[in-house]
Amino acid sequence: MNVRFCTVAALAFCAGACDANVPAPPPVRPGAAPAPAKAPGPRFVFTDVTAASGVTTVAWCGRPEKPHLLESGGNGLALFDYDTDGDLDLYVVSGWRLAGEEIAERAKNALWRNRGDGTFEDVTAEAGVGGEAWGTGMAVGDYDGDGRPDLFVTNFGKDALWHNDGGGRFSKVEDGPGIDGWSAGACFFDADGDGDDDLFIAAYVDCTLDDVLHAKPTLDWKGAKVMPGPFGLKGKKDEFFRNDGGKFTKATEEAGLTDVGEYYGFGVAAFDLDENGSLDLYVANDSNPSYVYKNDGRGKFTETGLWCGAGLQGGGAAQAGMGVAVADYDSDGRPDILLTTFADDSATLFRNLGRGLFRDVAIETGVREPSFAPLKWGVVFSDFDLDGDEDLFIANGHIYPQADTAPESRTKFAQRNLLLENADGRFSDATSGAGPGLAVAKSSRGLAMGDLDGDGDVDLVVSNIDSTPTVLRNDSPRGGRHWLTVDAPGALRVAVEAGGRKITRFFVAGGSFCSASEPRFHFGLGAAAKADRVVVTWQRGGETVLTDVAADRIVRAEKR
Amino acid sequence: MKRGMLLCGALVIAGASFALGAETRKSLVSAYDSLADTILGAKKTEHHLVKSILEIHYNAANRLFEDKKFDECAAEMALFANEGDNAVGGIRKRLIEGGHHHNAEGEAKGVYDEGFVIVTKAAKKKALAASAALQAAKDEGGGRKAAWADFEAAAAPLLAGK
Repeated sequence: MNVRFCTVAALAFCAGACDANVPAPPPVRPGAAPAPAKAPGPRFVFTDVTAASGVTTVAWCGRPEKPHLLESGGNGLALFDYDTDGDLDLYVVSGWRLAGEEIAERAKNALWRNRGDGTFEDVTAEAGVGGEAWGTGMAVGDYDGDGRPDLFVTNFGKDALWHNDGGGRFSKVEDGPGIDGWSAGACFFDADGDGDDDLFIAAYVDCTLDDVLHAKPTLDWKGAKVMPGPFGLKGKKDEFFRNDGGKFTKATEEAGLTDVGEYYGFGVAAFDLDENGSLDLYVANDSNPSYVYKNDGRGKFTETGLWCGAGLQGGGAAQAGMGVAVADYDSDGRPDILLTTFADDSATLFRNLGRGLFRDVAIETGVREPSFAPLKWGVVFSDFDLDGDEDLFIANGHIYPQADTAPESRTKFAQRNLLLENADGRFSDATSGAGPGLAVAKSSRGLAMGDLDGDGDVDLVVSNIDSTPTVLRNDSPRGGRHWLTVDAPGALRVAVEAGGRKITRFFVAGGSFCSASEPRFHFGLGAAAKADRVVVTWQRGGETVLTDVAADRIVRAEKR
Repeated sequence: MKRGMLLCGALVIAGASFALGAETRKSLVSAYDSLADTILGAKKTEHHLVKSILEIHYNAANRLFEDKKFDECAAEMALFANEGDNAVGGIRKRLIEGGHHHNAEGEAKGVYDEGFVIVTKAAKKKALAASAALQAAKDEGGGRKAAWADFEAAAAPLLAGK
């Protein structure tokens, strides 16, 4: 049984009672910039601090010319606190480096420990978590309920479950759950409400290493020869593993999660989409409709993609689904979905209408135009400017390196990422004015967010094909705006009432593209210096209410 | 096995040689003719099967509309528009990957989505719009009836066709 569910009934707390649960991080850490009273100039500033962060892992992905699709799928990464010291550490997934038809380097994944100030040291060797397979993505969860986050790494090859032993060490779980082949996105979530984390894994294409090594670019694309696929390649089936006391059993069909179309699965996200208290599942499928699985509350799922409004774009067409983000963009208290897609196609924002129904609102919300040209992968919603609504960050990069030279190409393999500012539910492109970090152009894939330097705003790490990740520090002017982070393991959603408005954040397992972000719930409060109420709704029922919570701090809520 | 195949091949070559310059051997023509019936019959069967799928979703939608179960009705309308759910979509994907396009010419002209058998792009768009309108409609009399009428207008010609 997961320890986070060992506590009993939810109670309402006043701020004083709540303080007892706070592990006492200071409101703003030493060295963090004080919030200016007024902030003239740009709304957003992101600074590329990769060099200063010390992170040097190159995430390899095949050969430079990418003759096989695997070599352009890229890799994910994760921000999580492996040593439970209160700050976010970084795990970077790498594939292998190929040369000609040979394996040039079986590159390892890397674990980077945060020194507490947003700089990192490589602890891969001492943690024993480098891995040997061609890594693609990952999920983070405490599958055995010992209070320490474990790692599940999806691979081209056999997936790997790493148990966090404590003391900075991991051990590989022999005969752990997983797929042998090309798996991509994965997430730990309590599907059956029994208090432990089950595991869903999306799989992409059924192929062998020989297929990859001997692949040739044979597809005509804008006057160049590029890799073929995914059309014409056999899809690989997604799988679901039920956790019973730390032991996993394959239960895909039993749970109703059979990949009936053998679609090309990429990003996954588990969250309560129909507000019935159980975690549902969204699977972004490349070149096919998304799966939208609704949970009956007992771990039995029904696939609703083609009629709930979130499996196809508004015109009824299937898109090349890559990544997925979930948040309440329009402040109506319901979780909406953003699906990233191929180039020359809009990202799709599905507004949650309630009752498990969605509508494509990409055009009227302003998402379509800035997202149309780039090829989009990792995606996160977060309140980067602390004004109380959810902005969007999308990682971009083309799959064909030939985009740089193809006669009819109007795009590049390396692309700038995209920042969209949310203002009253309408998005506008804020990329060009958002500082030097947004000028970086690489072929990006994975994306994770979290407060790396403990200053109260949300930073980003982006994975890049055949390159080091980009670490983007959020240096946006505060302009008198405040924040609050709620650490509530096991929460289904957290709602904050501050300054006359209600802001809702949802528990989302997985999300983005093959990556995992900070699990705490971050709120921008605008000018409000306190939250009047913080309501934590727990996954297995019950609420915890905190009142009069001062801003600019991390507050912990536990189910009692 | 290999010997059998060789023998078979030899017989075909012998037959072809015997008929060289005159005509294809009657038995082969007859066999191919039967196979053609099967191939064309399979396509016809595919049409009938997909039509049955549409009829089931249409009838379910109709019943649910009368029962005032509007969300469920809208779901059936959307499945009609998509010629079935994702399980059917998976079969469609497999057929396309195997090179089978029921309406290859119609797809090339932009009339049909890839792999679709009966529902045209235009009808799909109308039926999906009607489904969304029914989900969104609040009023008993106006919006819901209008959404159902739009759906019927899109569906009827498809169901009436042979």
